[in-house]
Amino acid sequence: MDGRIARTAGRARSTIITSGSTAAVEPVRVEVSGLTKTFGRVRAVDDLSFTVEPGQVTGFLGPNGAGKTTTLRMALGLVTPDHGTTTFNGAPYAALSDPMRRVGAVLETAFHPARSGRNHLRVYCRAAGLPTSRADEVLDQVGLGPAGGRKAGGYSLGMRQRLGLATALLGDPAVLVLDEPANGLDPEGIQWLRGFLRHLAHDQGRTVLVSSHLLAEVEQTADRVVIVGAGKLVHEGSLEQLRSGTDGEGAGTVLVRTPHTTRFADLLGEDGVAVRVTDPEGMTVTGMTTAEVGRRAFADGIELHELRPHTSGLEEVYFRLTAGSEQFAAAPAGSAAPTDGRRNR
Amino acid sequence: MDRLVRSEWTKLLTTRVWIGLVLGACLLAGGFAALLTAFAGNAGSGLPAVGTPQFEQLAFAVAANGTVLALVLGVIGMTQEYRHRTATPTFLASPHRGRVVVAKLIAYALAAVPFAVAVCAVTVLVVAVYAGARGAVPALSADNVAVLLRAALAMVVYAVIGVGLGALLRNQVGAIVGALVYLYVIEPIISSIPATSGAYEWMPGGALEAMTATTRTTDLLAAWQGGLLLLGYGLLAAVVGTMLAVRRDVV
Repeated sequence: MDGRIARTAGRARSTIITSGSTAAVEPVRVEVSGLTKTFGRVRAVDDLSFTVEPGQVTGFLGPNGAGKTTTLRMALGLVTPDHGTTTFNGAPYAALSDPMRRVGAVLETAFHPARSGRNHLRVYCRAAGLPTSRADEVLDQVGLGPAGGRKAGGYSLGMRQRLGLATALLGDPAVLVLDEPANGLDPEGIQWLRGFLRHLAHDQGRTVLVSSHLLAEVEQTADRVVIVGAGKLVHEGSLEQLRSGTDGEGAGTVLVRTPHTTRFADLLGEDGVAVRVTDPEGMTVTGMTTAEVGRRAFADGIELHELRPHTSGLEEVYFRLTAGSEQFAAAPAGSAAPTDGRRNR
Repeated sequence: MDRLVRSEWTKLLTTRVWIGLVLGACLLAGGFAALLTAFAGNAGSGLPAVGTPQFEQLAFAVAANGTVLALVLGVIGMTQEYRHRTATPTFLASPHRGRVVVAKLIAYALAAVPFAVAVCAVTVLVVAVYAGARGAVPALSADNVAVLLRAALAMVVYAVIGVGLGALLRNQVGAIVGALVYLYVIEPIISSIPATSGAYEWMPGGALEAMTATTRTTDLLAAWQGGLLLLGYGLLAAVVGTMLAVRRDVV
């Protein structure tokens, strides 16, 4: 009797997920506070604090070796921090009564190679006290239904990512933590994942934290970003703040190519717009849209060869923020050979 | 806790490792039973003749050979989490790692019961058919059943030791090879050197012999003492392993 009720409840819950309506999920705020971890002589994570809000996708960014994975593992109790805490609505992971029903995590794509995807999921259904029918539901949800009976050892990297995501979704958790989930996914899979994560956060009010070393990967998905470099927080805020922040080389900047840079710069300068002439035929204008710049040029009869928004701004900000924090930085191309040559001469 | 135990059984039954181990243990016990029966009563072998209670107890006691594979079963049950990196989802499902180890101890002790029944059944079958062909089917007398029960119990305890050893060492190949080298090389050496042979009765191999041997050539504990000592070794390994190894960072 009990079993039947539990199974029905499970089915009802999954209908909510797949139907796309607004699910009643308890909003959970994740607070990371002062996390610090040293491995040997390397300080992997250094006094890191940030919050992850419900109803949003938060991108957790940083170069390889910046401490992202260590931070996530500390947050989930797999690695013991030297200092600091992570709480889910005030409670650390180990204190959650039914952790898989509160927090779902995809940290690595390792499975017992001889166990089928479906059986892998059933193992964790049992551990979490969920009906084993959830295994088939989440397999369908991530598009692995037909491959559920095959051994996980034969899965492609993309299929492993999906199985990992399915494991995280078993308990229908309010919080999802994903470490580099786009690794190994094909472009179609990445597209699907983006839509899926947005749906979970925006339509269902779940808290989604997704790490990546590529800004472009989360740029279209994330509402907020937390950027780390060498274990330290370098930026926390919305993508808009990141774009407009610092020195204004963000989305508000327009690139203009014209033979009359000096004259146009003077005209725009009279309007109080920030202008920077970059070369005899190029300039950047900050504080005006492309339409406004075009209208001004048209009104004054200035010949334009190019007019476009400065889109690479975000990537540049990301690079500057994390500059020098890569664990293994390569020497700039071609820098070594000329030095040697000069010495020989 | 029952959830975690059931989760462990699902893990065990959804790969084929258990089939190989059960078959291996049955072959080992059945093979030794056949050999023993073949040479029973042979003047050169020194074995008691078919039809004597000494032979029947000795032949049934070979079921205890299954302990080695019960040990391997327990070791694999614990160490596969590290070998295949499933420790991450397992400890996410149950952040209290001590409970995972306890669940494995219970799950593998109980799983070793049908394992032991199968090994004992094969042993009895081989001896009954072969000794029957040689003139005397052994009866399931109280003494003979007691020998089988002690062998079965030893297999259950060895599965527990396997889980404990796996928790302590975490490395699957290392734990299995280490256990085999210890049982078949180190302990025999210790027991054969006069200066150290006195310690043998307190060691896992000596305790196993106390539990299952039907003839005694050296000083041994009583069967129940040997069983408790073995269980103590298994639980000690599990507790120390949980504190020193299982609590370590899963990176």
